[in-house]
Amino acid sequence: MSENLTLVTMGGDYAERYGFRDPEDFFVKAPKGLNHEVVEMISRLKKEPEWMRELRHKALDTFLAKPMPSWGNLDMLSRINFDEITYYLRSTEKQETSWDEVPENIKRTFDRLGIPEAERKFLAGVTAQYESEVVYHSVKEELTKQGVIFLDMDSGLREHEDLVREYFASVIPVADNKFSALNSAVWSGGSFIYIPPHTEVTIPLQAYFRINAENMGQFERTLIIADEGAKVHYIEGCTAPVYSTNSLHSAVVELIAKKGATIRYTTIQNWATNIYNLVTKRAVALEDARVEWVDGNIGSRLTMKYPAVVLKGERAHGEVLSIAFAGPGQHQDAGAKITHLAPHTTSQITSKSISKDGGRATYRGLVKVRKGAEGCKTSVQCDALLIGHGARTDTYPTMEIDEDDVRVEHEARVSKLGDEQLFYLRSRGLTDAQARLMIVNGFIEPFVRELPMEYAVELNRLIELEMEGSVG
Amino acid sequence: MASATPHPARTIDLALAGLDRLSSATGEPAALLERRHVAGALLAGMTLPSRSLHLWKYTDPGRFVPSSDPTGGTLEAVTEAWHDNSPHAATAVIAGGAVRSIELSDEARRAGVVVTDLHRSAPLDLLGTAVPDGHGFVEAINAAAWRGGVLVRVPRGVRLEQPVRVRSVAPATGTALPRILVVAEPGSEFEVLESHVGGGSGTLSLTVAEILVGEGAQVRYDLIQRWEDGVVGHHTARARVAARGRFHLALASFGGAVYKADVGAILAGEHAEAETYGVAMGGGNQHFDHHTEHLHNSPDTRSNLDFKVALTDHSRSAYTGMIRIAPAAARCEAYQENRNLLLSEDARAESIPELEILNEDVRCSHGATVAPLDEEQLFYLKSRGLPHNQAMRLIVYGFLDQTLARLPEATRERLEALVAARLHAN
Repeated sequence: MSENLTLVTMGGDYAERYGFRDPEDFFVKAPKGLNHEVVEMISRLKKEPEWMRELRHKALDTFLAKPMPSWGNLDMLSRINFDEITYYLRSTEKQETSWDEVPENIKRTFDRLGIPEAERKFLAGVTAQYESEVVYHSVKEELTKQGVIFLDMDSGLREHEDLVREYFASVIPVADNKFSALNSAVWSGGSFIYIPPHTEVTIPLQAYFRINAENMGQFERTLIIADEGAKVHYIEGCTAPVYSTNSLHSAVVELIAKKGATIRYTTIQNWATNIYNLVTKRAVALEDARVEWVDGNIGSRLTMKYPAVVLKGERAHGEVLSIAFAGPGQHQDAGAKITHLAPHTTSQITSKSISKDGGRATYRGLVKVRKGAEGCKTSVQCDALLIGHGARTDTYPTMEIDEDDVRVEHEARVSKLGDEQLFYLRSRGLTDAQARLMIVNGFIEPFVRELPMEYAVELNRLIELEMEGSVG
Repeated sequence: MASATPHPARTIDLALAGLDRLSSATGEPAALLERRHVAGALLAGMTLPSRSLHLWKYTDPGRFVPSSDPTGGTLEAVTEAWHDNSPHAATAVIAGGAVRSIELSDEARRAGVVVTDLHRSAPLDLLGTAVPDGHGFVEAINAAAWRGGVLVRVPRGVRLEQPVRVRSVAPATGTALPRILVVAEPGSEFEVLESHVGGGSGTLSLTVAEILVGEGAQVRYDLIQRWEDGVVGHHTARARVAARGRFHLALASFGGAVYKADVGAILAGEHAEAETYGVAMGGGNQHFDHHTEHLHNSPDTRSNLDFKVALTDHSRSAYTGMIRIAPAAARCEAYQENRNLLLSEDARAESIPELEILNEDVRCSHGATVAPLDEEQLFYLKSRGLPHNQAMRLIVYGFLDQTLARLPEATRERLEALVAARLHAN
């Protein structure tokens, strides 16, 4: 430990870079802790229909009844104090429709991240979740013309109740796991997206989430429905300021790709290193549909996230491409889950992780092939890179195959940042730090390649930050 | 927030009333009996492992709890006419809960090799050092109630040309609890052939084998399971390998109804090495569950594993493999490969090759595949005039032989003959 102290710790200069805080300015803030009163208050404030109110209450009962997971990083999980978390707050009273109307302090926050001003012209619509409520929302005229619905989840429920009622919790049942139950009870914000049949959204839809209150939980809920032959790329990114006490982020994301539809969902999470990021993400892919999760985990203290694809229709394709970066004190427990239910479905999982100076990265995956899903193909590849002392990497892949006519492959490689590579690069005149960064960049290049340009730039900047001080 | 366990833990309802009688009947020293009681107390405090633990996800641990007190009554050995005149350094036969015979070649006797009844000669300081009594409930049952044990000790620097054979003949009904302890003193070199035969639909067999590989010693260990149909069995085998020692395990699983094997090596000393090569062939309703562990506890250790599974009919197999590199174990290399061949629609295979790496200076990889018979290969062979069954056998043989080919010649020939026999039996 003492020897690690000489190195810049993961997120050590977070405060300078991102560690700005705006005064808490809340219209509504629920008391700490969770009970039926809090759930009732959330639902009433949102003026929700009766069925959603009931769903929340039932979900709370499920959450309270379900035990904590009996696997994973039990030590870290046991440190979550559910009674110390605020389950709901809202910073501005109403939805904003244009950038000009967004409150100045919130704009400042985004400006500091260097996100919207430079990229606004690329954005189809911005759903910026500040605290628990969406404060800024604009949908380009073109999208409206196409019949695309891109709303925050609360508005989605108000304006398209039938669609929400049909699909909400249809992919991830309330009782799927303890944290999906928690989210179902107290969800707030997130995105609701519907793409009409044979409609292609050519520019990525984006949303930025932030946490900005101490002990503040974020429980956003996202539902994306791509109707037959539709195509959409959704990008979720988040950066959070530093706080001294633990915070919980527990989102639920459901994707429905109907016949021939394509959904790509890109996330780069960079939560502050005091945040527990326990997220349930699952997609259903019908006939000939394609779902891709592109998932980057850089921040948080503990992330437990296993994006899933249920391949329900023939020839559906599922892909999970992920990177994880675990610095000191961090545990990135990430992976993927693919279920092959229909014949000739295919899937591919590519996982790359970097564990540095006491950080721990875990790949935990499950590939299931159900009886009757003949002619399936699936391949899983995990690569892990270890840097510095005390780093740890684990690989826990599970394959459950009920059908004989399938091809399943899994491969994993673990290597350390190589002295030979370093020596070679240094002999070319690079400094040690430059050489290390170059090797890491090369390692994650297959992931970065899949990102939109602005995200690739941001990720490279983040990796550079994490790699600072790794010399030695 | 209170967190309850998902399912109430199942208690292990097992009386071990006859420990004193068992111990005195076999002439054990008092200290060994005391140790049995300690293990019994350990067991009494245990519950069955949760099925949510991956190690028990695929096989119900309840299958391995004896239905009645295993210390009571006598065990009838399946009578067998076994004649194997191939050369051997020593041969010990365990049957009916006791060591039935021990033969030692002149060569081995002159070299000071000891092959003896473990009941009278158990070295208490070594027993349980590779498989701790509290390793799990199966190991605790064995530690408390084992009957029919063999000690093999090969002195320092002794090299044996011929194998030491330990043959365990399972009873037709009842619980067999064999225990084997192999001590390879520093610099010794030899092969142990542990085989399990016999049994029937009323048989439960819970074996513990410990292999202590001294500094610079080399042990080749063949673990061959050829039970009759219906046997339910568990086998825990662990080698503890000292500095520069080498442990080479050949694993072949063919018989029984439900078989769970937990095998592996603890690389305790620097530059220790372990290799595990194995094949499993399942048919009918057979259920196999193999777990392998290579634990790298010291720097500069090396391990390699290649395990192949071929399944027909309704058989199923689960494979979980763990490679663990301890924080202090720098410069290790570890490789692991598991391939599964499904030959029928109803066969089923699970594969979980796991890595836990706590030292950054490492070279490590693993791979796993599950795939059906290659129809093109089959078509090719059939187009050459081979009948369907023969073509299938050739493909399976070719699949398994990739692994068998990596074994030392004598072991390979032995296993190839068994694979061929098994293929023709289907």
